[in-house]
Amino acid sequence: MNDIAPYIILGALLFAIGVVGFLSRRNLIVIFLSTELMLQGVVVNLVAMGRLHGQLNGQIFALFLFVIAAVEAGLALGLVVLLFRRKGTLDADRWSSMWG
Amino acid sequence: MSNPWPLMVYVTFALGGLAIYFLMPRTDRSTRGAGAIFGVAALAAAMVLCASRFLGTEGGNVFFYLSAVVAVASAVKVITHEKPVYSALYFVLTVLAIAPLLIIQHAEFLAVALVIIYAGAILVTYVFVIMLAQQGGASIYDRRARQPFVAVFGGFFTMALIAGQMTVLPEEHVVQGTLASASAERATELGNTAMIGGVMMTDYLVAFEIAGVLLLVAMVGAIAMSRKRVPTEVVRASAKPPGQIGREVQPF
Repeated sequence: MNDIAPYIILGALLFAIGVVGFLSRRNLIVIFLSTELMLQGVVVNLVAMGRLHGQLNGQIFALFLFVIAAVEAGLALGLVVLLFRRKGTLDADRWSSMWG
Repeated sequence: MSNPWPLMVYVTFALGGLAIYFLMPRTDRSTRGAGAIFGVAALAAAMVLCASRFLGTEGGNVFFYLSAVVAVASAVKVITHEKPVYSALYFVLTVLAIAPLLIIQHAEFLAVALVIIYAGAILVTYVFVIMLAQQGGASIYDRRARQPFVAVFGGFFTMALIAGQMTVLPEEHVVQGTLASASAERATELGNTAMIGGVMMTDYLVAFEIAGVLLLVAMVGAIAMSRKRVPTEVVRASAKPPGQIGREVQPF
């Protein structure tokens, strides 16, 4: 049996780095890059677990994840362009008008 | 706790979290050195952890270490670099380092699809938007991270717990695959791409069609969104030149 612990640790590290970028960066584009980073960690884990179980389901799920990533990149970047046109900046803190 | 493995995972993630915390962009750059030291320590600890779990020399260990180190280091650069263009380029490096990891695990089709979709399509979109929207040089909001300690604590604490506990699961939990198309002899006979196509077109046919519809809807939505005209809000009056501040007297 293959031991997939190294792949799980690598995926968790990539996901954690993506979470930190998502929470603490203030540039809208870098925030969305961080979500792509998290998806990379998930892809590594999915493929490793599919190999552990001797199935192809993990790789199929990873393929669907690519579809979701492409959809998310298209829509999110369209939104970023709209937000930039409205305020003229990419700072996420400028959109905090619902803080009350 | 008799098994020291989860504790070692937690220590590794704590070192990595400290490295990220010191490397995040902030006004004084003097913490970069400490961040680099913690980062090297965390990478070394992670490599020791991985070396203790690899059985023999299965599956190209050298390539695993090379690709994993490059992937993690460039991922750190993605979130710590002050200029978004460099972040996007380092993300390309991360993708190119993850592709060999998929090839090591006999997911050749997925590796090629990853490079084509991410490095080819998605990243081009990102770079276009950065060119469109980013002013020259690093802006002020790129040079100061927001609450880096809370973010590092949340992300690394959660993932350390999950990784530490998931990697000590007993092996009786592993259910061997029942898909006949995934067996080893079919793999050598057909190849990875044909097997993925077979499973995708039989077991996952409905999901495949739904994914196509989703892509179509996203395309229509993106086009509709980009054609919309938005009013520009004047958020702040432009600052006066330094010589005029406080010198103007409004007429009564």
